[in-house]
Amino acid sequence: MPNPTPEKAPKKHRRIQWLPFLGSMNLAVTLLMMLAIASVIGTVLQQNQAFQDYIIKFGPFWTQVFNSLGLFHVYGAAWFILVLLFLLISTGVCVSRNAPGFLKDMKQYSEGLSLNAYKHQPQSVTYTPENFDSEQAEKLLQQQGYKVRLHERDDGLTVAGMKGRWNRWGYILTHVSIIVICIGGLLDSNLLLKARELTGNLAPETRSVPLGEIPQKSWVGSDNFSFRGTVNVAEGQKSDVLFLPYDRGFLVQKLPFTIDVKDFRIEYYDTGMPKNYASDLVLTAPELEEPIEKTIEVNKPLYYKNYAIYQSSFGDGGSKLDLKVHPLLAREFKPLEMNTSVDQVETINTPVGKYRIEFNDFKLHNIIPASEEEQNETGKKMHNNGPSIVFKVRNDQGKAWEYENFMTPDKQDGRWFFMTGMRTSTAEPFRYLFLPADEGRGLDRFFEYLTLINDPERTQATLNDALPAEGVDERTHQMQLKLMNQLLMLFRRQGFNGITSFVEENVPPEEQKRVRDYYINQTSLALQTLYLSVLEKEETQDLESISEFNKQWFEDAMVVLNSLSNYGPPLYFELENFTHIQSTGLQITKSPGKDVVYFGSTLLIIGVFFLFYLRQKRLWLAFDNHHQTLTIAGKDTKPLPETEKEFNRLVEAIQAQTGIKQ
Amino acid sequence: MTTANDAMLKTERQPWGLRDTIWTALILLGSYFAWDVFGSLMDVYEIGILIGTAIFWIWFGRYWPSIQPFTYATALLSLLAIWTYVQNDNAYSVSETAFFLKFLVSSQSAIMWMSALFVLSTVAYFGGLFGKSESVSKFATFLAWAGSVMGSVGMMVRWNESYLINPDYGHIPVSSLYEVFILFAVMTTLIYLFYEQRMRTRAMGGFVMLIVSASVAFLLWYTFDRGAHEIQPLVPALKSYWMKIHVPANFVGYGAFSIAAMVGIAYLIVAKLQEKNPNSDFVQRMPSLESMDDLMYKTIALGFAWFTIATVLGAMWAAEAWGGYWSWDPKETWALIVWLNYAAWLHIRMSKGWRGKPMAWWAVIGLLITTFAFLGVNMFLSGLHSYGEL
Ligand code: HEM
Repeated sequence: MPNPTPEKAPKKHRRIQWLPFLGSMNLAVTLLMMLAIASVIGTVLQQNQAFQDYIIKFGPFWTQVFNSLGLFHVYGAAWFILVLLFLLISTGVCVSRNAPGFLKDMKQYSEGLSLNAYKHQPQSVTYTPENFDSEQAEKLLQQQGYKVRLHERDDGLTVAGMKGRWNRWGYILTHVSIIVICIGGLLDSNLLLKARELTGNLAPETRSVPLGEIPQKSWVGSDNFSFRGTVNVAEGQKSDVLFLPYDRGFLVQKLPFTIDVKDFRIEYYDTGMPKNYASDLVLTAPELEEPIEKTIEVNKPLYYKNYAIYQSSFGDGGSKLDLKVHPLLAREFKPLEMNTSVDQVETINTPVGKYRIEFNDFKLHNIIPASEEEQNETGKKMHNNGPSIVFKVRNDQGKAWEYENFMTPDKQDGRWFFMTGMRTSTAEPFRYLFLPADEGRGLDRFFEYLTLINDPERTQATLNDALPAEGVDERTHQMQLKLMNQLLMLFRRQGFNGITSFVEENVPPEEQKRVRDYYINQTSLALQTLYLSVLEKEETQDLESISEFNKQWFEDAMVVLNSLSNYGPPLYFELENFTHIQSTGLQITKSPGKDVVYFGSTLLIIGVFFLFYLRQKRLWLAFDNHHQTLTIAGKDTKPLPETEKEFNRLVEAIQAQTGIKQ
Repeated sequence: MTTANDAMLKTERQPWGLRDTIWTALILLGSYFAWDVFGSLMDVYEIGILIGTAIFWIWFGRYWPSIQPFTYATALLSLLAIWTYVQNDNAYSVSETAFFLKFLVSSQSAIMWMSALFVLSTVAYFGGLFGKSESVSKFATFLAWAGSVMGSVGMMVRWNESYLINPDYGHIPVSSLYEVFILFAVMTTLIYLFYEQRMRTRAMGGFVMLIVSASVAFLLWYTFDRGAHEIQPLVPALKSYWMKIHVPANFVGYGAFSIAAMVGIAYLIVAKLQEKNPNSDFVQRMPSLESMDDLMYKTIALGFAWFTIATVLGAMWAAEAWGGYWSWDPKETWALIVWLNYAAWLHIRMSKGWRGKPMAWWAVIGLLITTFAFLGVNMFLSGLHSYGEL
């Protein structure tokens, strides 16, 4: 196919012609494809992650290469902005070069051409009509949507028609719209902040410190032109600042108003899925006589002047927690009371060291998919594990263990357990211990039992009472009890594995199996004996026949005791009570470019429809006075296959009107 | 004398007739009924959408008269379903027991019918093409229409059912991957049927219905393997009137791009065979290369226009839901990639005048990109778009 716009002949050779290059279609398509490829990279490579994560993924070398190419922040990379800028310039040049011609073309009826020129149009027929009435012809063309002009030639008359000239506006609108949208986007970008950073009077804060300690260099005044940031505000609290993510840290944005959060709510569907998030806000500003009160929800923001306040997330706002701390090595069942709240740090001194406890989060609901069995039972797809706390325990050296403890027991295989999860790195999932609940769905029995095992004197006495010397002399019996006690200590410290490795290290190989079996046997006997004494103390128990529940409980407790040595610092935090205080995550934007972008988008949509659904067509009826012939000629700016058909149909209609002289 | 000529000239645009009057009256009546019953529950935007839909549909029924019987059939069957539910105290469980619902018009049954009809239609189109039977091809067209009707009945009834299960769950079924696949199948088929009429050829039906069948296959796998057909409540971010227009506009785009790609495949096959033997039966029966090239352009132009609207609407929605009209979220970014790709395609064709094979290849590659934007992003990339993870 020939190029449809051959008019633009190159003027000067040799020298690079910048304007034609900038406005060239080749450059435009290249830029479009470059943008597309950059965008692909931006979605395939996770953006704005912590540097460590990249190094783990790609190794130090490639991380370095990728980073210097800006691939971890593609959409902010200098080259990306440059491509955008070029697109802007290129489109600008293109429009400014083409638009005048197009505008002129819109008015071109070409009614002044010679008869011969019409005969050489892409569509053309010449015949001798029986009669030709220009007025009738004009009317017919007008009915078909053509605008018509008449022109008297020396040798006859031309009726020139044109329609669909708005198609040309389509080109102008689409391309201007791209420029408008880019400008709107630039208005909302952080270019001004970047400039301030370059001149050195702005530096993002990278530590997490209280607001008061953030240096002035990381603050941005409310004169900032555009921003988009977030702030978490607890129920009953207020805020007049916002945090803007910036580079690898953040900036503090001063707001010209204050927002009080009265309440935050989550509504749930009956499946347990969240249905709605809502915050009751009160906005006060010096220029407001009355504060604005509004409830915002997802998809229903609060607009104030050129600011918009969105419901974007939620979290804990410092819920009050009443805890019982169980030292896992204690010899008596006497937990400590602790009253604290989320985001607080407490310290505990134990015989094995001093620990800092950082309370990070409280969750009222923990909704997880239900097991198949439970689904069949209740018909519900989701399961609520109830309230939980997340906290870290840190020792003197700074090593931290993170825990997730649930407040209420959860049913598994028909039994009730208190779940407690532990991990030493946030990259890992929690590994859970399941502390078996007693018949009162509590943990009393577990800690009675544990503290008994922890206490050598009580253990000794209990075993002494329960296991009288039978058939052996007193000395052997005492030896056996002592051994049991030592085995129990070993078990408490390292589980059954500890006993096995003790045997492997201290017993000749040929004896190992026998000794190990004996030791494990003795340990189990001791543990069972102690368990019975705990049951005895509960009084309600019938010791003649141990119930299924109690047997099962013992087995479940064994699983826990066996792995308790891997649980980290010997502390268990039992959540007794809480007062739930939530915080709402607000996103606040000042986006002066938004309306510009919307305006550009509207132009774009209109333009695209003009381009595709209006076809610019020209038609000429040229009457030749000499030969009494009529030439009908047509030309579409962008011919399509139907152009020919439409032309023929029109010719038939005209011929039906004028008749054809044979 | 002029009137006769006018009539001949305006073969494309029929004069206003009784048929149009009935059409307009019924659409107005239906919309009024919807407003009368549900108006109190709608906000101003939803009333706006209702009015806009009614006007569009009146216009559309005139622009493409075949959509009228389609709409009547959809409406009647949907009403049959709703009526049966009402007869049974609106209990969702009767979808398994009431005769009409169980075998025909509960959303699940209707969607199964749709699936079967679309696959049969594909087979029939190819049967007609290779068996050189005009009547089989005609039947294929009928099957495609029937499948579209059942698909849209399925969606209408599903809409109703979502409220029956729990009024809290109620929503228009364009919010999960399962639901949009139905939308895709129906939309693509309808757009194809439109061009089939305009071009007076059925030879390309098999090729286009192939991709519809592929989406049906996905749908069935998704139903039986993942249980995705179960109606779930909406997550808060999706509760917006924007969703009601953003998603359908998007799927006009996806549908049109898919057709362009399938026509591109047909083009490449015909071009190849033509080189070998220009007089082979197959080549003779297929549309000319030129008209397939033109169809590719028309469908890409249609898709591009609607995709532009959808992306702009998406940006407006994002501005309301996430606080920013553009966040470089993967789904957004891929929409931009798709859009840029077709913008480049259109530029090359319009201004460089490229035609034929390279453009056909490009249209096919375009579909790969589109498919990634539609499916791949949900499967492989995480982001703010929270619906339909596989
Ligand atoms: C993101 C940027 C751009 C977009 C989205 C865009 C979009 C479009 C679209 C949709 C068309 C319609 C094709 C048709 O007529 O069917 C078009 C045509 C055209 N574009 Fe662009 N364009 C962009 C940038 C440019 C640039 C930078 C140039 C500079 C050379 C350019 C030159 C043209 C030309 C010459 C036409 C054909 C106009 C005609 O002959 O009717 N475009 N553009």
